[in-house]
Amino acid sequence: MTSMKILIVDDSITIRRIITNALKTVGFPDTMEASNGKDALEKLTNANVDFIITDWNMPEMNGLDFIKQVRANPIYSALPILMITTRGTEHDVIEALQAKVNSYIVKPFTPQELKEKIEGILKTVQINTV
Amino acid sequence: MNQQELDGILQKAAELKVFCEYGERTVPVLDEIASFVREISPAIEDLRAVVEVSMVNIPKAADQLGRVTQATEQASTDILNTLDRMVATLDEVITSVASGMISSDLGAATKKMAAIVKSLVDKSGWDEDIVKLAEAWDIHLQSMRMSGPTSNLERLLKDLQSDCTEIMMALQVQDITQQHIGAVMGTIQAVAEGLQQLTTGFFSTSSAEALPPTPSMPVQFEQENVGEAERKKMVEALLSKARAGQI
Ligand SMILES: [Mg+2]
Repeated sequence: MTSMKILIVDDSITIRRIITNALKTVGFPDTMEASNGKDALEKLTNANVDFIITDWNMPEMNGLDFIKQVRANPIYSALPILMITTRGTEHDVIEALQAKVNSYIVKPFTPQELKEKIEGILKTVQINTV
Repeated sequence: MNQQELDGILQKAAELKVFCEYGERTVPVLDEIASFVREISPAIEDLRAVVEVSMVNIPKAADQLGRVTQATEQASTDILNTLDRMVATLDEVITSVASGMISSDLGAATKKMAAIVKSLVDKSGWDEDIVKLAEAWDIHLQSMRMSGPTSNLERLLKDLQSDCTEIMMALQVQDITQQHIGAVMGTIQAVAEGLQQLTTGFFSTSSAEALPPTPSMPVQFEQENVGEAERKKMVEALLSKARAGQI
């Protein structure tokens, strides 16, 4: 179990609940939710978030624009970001990577996949900061 | 009549000749156009009927797709609520089983015995035989947990819990289908817009209905229709490229 706070950004309430529950089963019980990029930026200012999981297709502010805003803000720019989306073309993945997402999952995913991705990101983030 | 006036008449006669020659050539073309219009006018009438029906049906289709999305979202929420309750109940039962409380008689007796053994150890000042008894009791308790019916029950309950998680994960299909429906609605809307332009600019029909609502975000069909495993492989390949600094 870890006390790392994870912000889940997705416009689908079903997906937010699924990610929350999946995170709980793999040892990350401390989560909070936002329904789009704009909402997530507000949540970031009010809570100590350690890790972001974001969708791409969302109203108001999509996931890609949200990532760009996070990366452009010196306070949050180093936050690890995992994108979980239905968008699975090569072009999509490259665009997300160019926006500096740490890792990428195409829906549907399993709790185990989620765990491995998060741990993989945390490992590289730790290596980079050493 | 002077020469100048004569020249003017000749000039007009020449112009008239040119006009007549032009007419001779254009009249057959105009005849052909007229017969073409006569031929296609029933087809245009048919097309008008199709467009009029479509302008009524397209918003209905979009509305129905919207309702499908709403219904599946509601169903997913209901299933998730039930699963949450099941997981919580299973948690309680697993805790009870693990602490031996499932069989209240056996649980009470075991607890009583454990307390007695503990107090014996304390009272005996760690007498060697009593300590041996305590150790034996401990092993007995462990073997009871591992081999008894409760440990089997605990495993079954945990299996049920992981089945609940699997059902929950399968509900991702709701979001995935919702996005595909969104893409279809986007296409329908583009067709509807084209038809509306046609109706206002060509047929000027009065039955043009309101267009279906624009999807709340730009959605698109996946350009590469590959399987899940291949897609994941492609993502992994790109991620390692990015790690190597090649993206
Ligand atoms: Mg979405």
